[in-house]
Amino acid sequence: MNNDRILGAAAIAVAAILIAYGYGLEAPFAYEPVGPRAFPLIAAAVIAVCGAILVLKPGAVDDAQTPMPGRAIIALSGSLLAYSFLFQPLGFVISTTVFMVPIAMIFGAKWWQGALTGGLLAVSSFLLFDSVLDVVLPVGPFGGIV
Amino acid sequence: METLGYLMHGFGVALTPSNLLLASIGAVVGTMVGVLPGLGPINAVAMLVPVVFALGLPPESSLILMAAIYIGSEYGGRISAILLNVPGEASAVMTAIEGYPLARQGKAGIALSLSAWTSFVGSAIATIGIVVAAPVLASWALAFGPVEYVALMVFAFACLSGLLTDQPVKAMLAISLGLAISTIGIDANSGVYRYTFGSPNLVDGVQFATVVIGLFAISELLIMLEFMHGGAAVRIKQMGRSLFNRSEMLFTNMATLRGSLIGFFVGILPGAGGTVASALAYTTEKRVVERAGPEGSLFGRGDMRGLASVEAANNSASNSNFIPMLTLGIPSSGTTAIMLGVLTLYNLTPGPALFRSQPDLVWGLIASLFIGNFILLAINIPLVGVFARMLSVPAWVLVPFIVVVSTIGVYSGKSTTFELVLMVGLGIGAYFLRRLGVPMAPLILGLVLGKILEQSLRRALSLSAGDIAILWSSPISIVLWTMAAAVFLAPLLLPKFQRWRRATITADE
Repeated sequence: MNNDRILGAAAIAVAAILIAYGYGLEAPFAYEPVGPRAFPLIAAAVIAVCGAILVLKPGAVDDAQTPMPGRAIIALSGSLLAYSFLFQPLGFVISTTVFMVPIAMIFGAKWWQGALTGGLLAVSSFLLFDSVLDVVLPVGPFGGIV
Repeated sequence: METLGYLMHGFGVALTPSNLLLASIGAVVGTMVGVLPGLGPINAVAMLVPVVFALGLPPESSLILMAAIYIGSEYGGRISAILLNVPGEASAVMTAIEGYPLARQGKAGIALSLSAWTSFVGSAIATIGIVVAAPVLASWALAFGPVEYVALMVFAFACLSGLLTDQPVKAMLAISLGLAISTIGIDANSGVYRYTFGSPNLVDGVQFATVVIGLFAISELLIMLEFMHGGAAVRIKQMGRSLFNRSEMLFTNMATLRGSLIGFFVGILPGAGGTVASALAYTTEKRVVERAGPEGSLFGRGDMRGLASVEAANNSASNSNFIPMLTLGIPSSGTTAIMLGVLTLYNLTPGPALFRSQPDLVWGLIASLFIGNFILLAINIPLVGVFARMLSVPAWVLVPFIVVVSTIGVYSGKSTTFELVLMVGLGIGAYFLRRLGVPMAPLILGLVLGKILEQSLRRALSLSAGDIAILWSSPISIVLWTMAAAVFLAPLLLPKFQRWRRATITADE
């Protein structure tokens, strides 16, 4: 199946969701001729039209495209998601040290290189942002640097 | 003469120690960012959005820093293009065509210094152009009402999808997705909650920083994975003579001038940044040289004129990009779109009124472009070797660094897990969209302009009590609608233009 067709179908689905949730948007008191729902519905309509064009007239298949490194993509996405979910519960220093190991390894590091990168980044950016720049970072269960 | 007074005032703002320091930091960081393939100006500026707020910088200082990074990355992009044959960022694609062969002939030092010089000339011409053209355009645009704004934005969108990409439908899709995202949250006019799905996290909309970092920085990491498995490029170590001489400069002067002018005019158009400008300058220069005498042409085998015109053009374009951004509130590239979004975060309304209400910001920024270019020329000729060494930073150091800075930035806004997960989710989604050929810069433009477009539309229709005919009631709006239609339809009607575009624009950014 052509990639453009998949994209078109996805666009139509997004437009359908936008219309389904946008159609009922009405202001209890209208002061102006155009209410809150017109603009989202116009955007949804354009998305739907673009989707329809892509489904009906997809572009030529691009042979030059590199094959997707599927496993690496899944590994990186998974690591990033886990990092973002556990960032607050584990605290900045622990979560950064732990999750930078797999992320660095996906990009060709040995495990100790990843651990070194993660540990150094975690401690130095905690000191820089939390202590110097007053950006509050989550401290995690043990508090502070540990 | 009034303009000169304002410009002097701007220099007063830009030359304060803190702003001068920020411009210098921006120039260094920008060059580094430009050198590193996979970390373009747009990602760097996106990652900076939350940082400037964390630092508590005033709006003019934030923009001075971001602008220095933006123009610095155009200087940096040429280094990896010449030494490695890998463009450090999208608009350096054409630089590699002439720059890398020159480097292989042992003229790397000449190519680097000459391109730094022509970059400087291009930027200087464009900044002078800004000083001349921007106040005129701004005073003219003050007459714009909501009706003209609606037409102007539609024209900007038409330019963006008509000029930028191979498939206008996909750019249009990206713009409308951006518009749809801009409607999330509470509607200012009626108080109605739109697309919040009952989540308190979405009541005041999606954080701008979360969207830009997700769409650019995070998705770029996934894109980088694809290039990981490609073979390593051969880096030129032999630098040769490090400075170009007088005859080489005279030889390339006309090419530099032509490139600068092309870049300047292309940069003003919405949607057409350095990538289009450098492609157009290259093809023009090649045609001019070959018409004059094909025997003297070394194009494709290391012609200095090609290199000079390309570098002059993309730097000129990235400076003249600021004209529509400052005067009309319409950004013409993804990076300036982010800067415009930053202005709205400071509760400033972008548009021609800025010239009256925020002279410090507007003229400080323009003056800092002059200063930034001098700093860039000064650091780029002697320190080029230091920047080239950046190329040996391994990806496994760079990527964790990007992840950590992005995460801290997004977290600093609202301190919720929701924003972090949204950032990663948007990044993964953007990766698939980019794989399917949907460009991200138009999406950001849609997001930044969405609120202004909706407000203008509603205000215009309130004036006419709901009659849509008001949208094409004034002469200016009719001209803009006609231009929009022409730009949008021309590529469909002119197959020759389409072929040219396909041949010249390979990368989209």
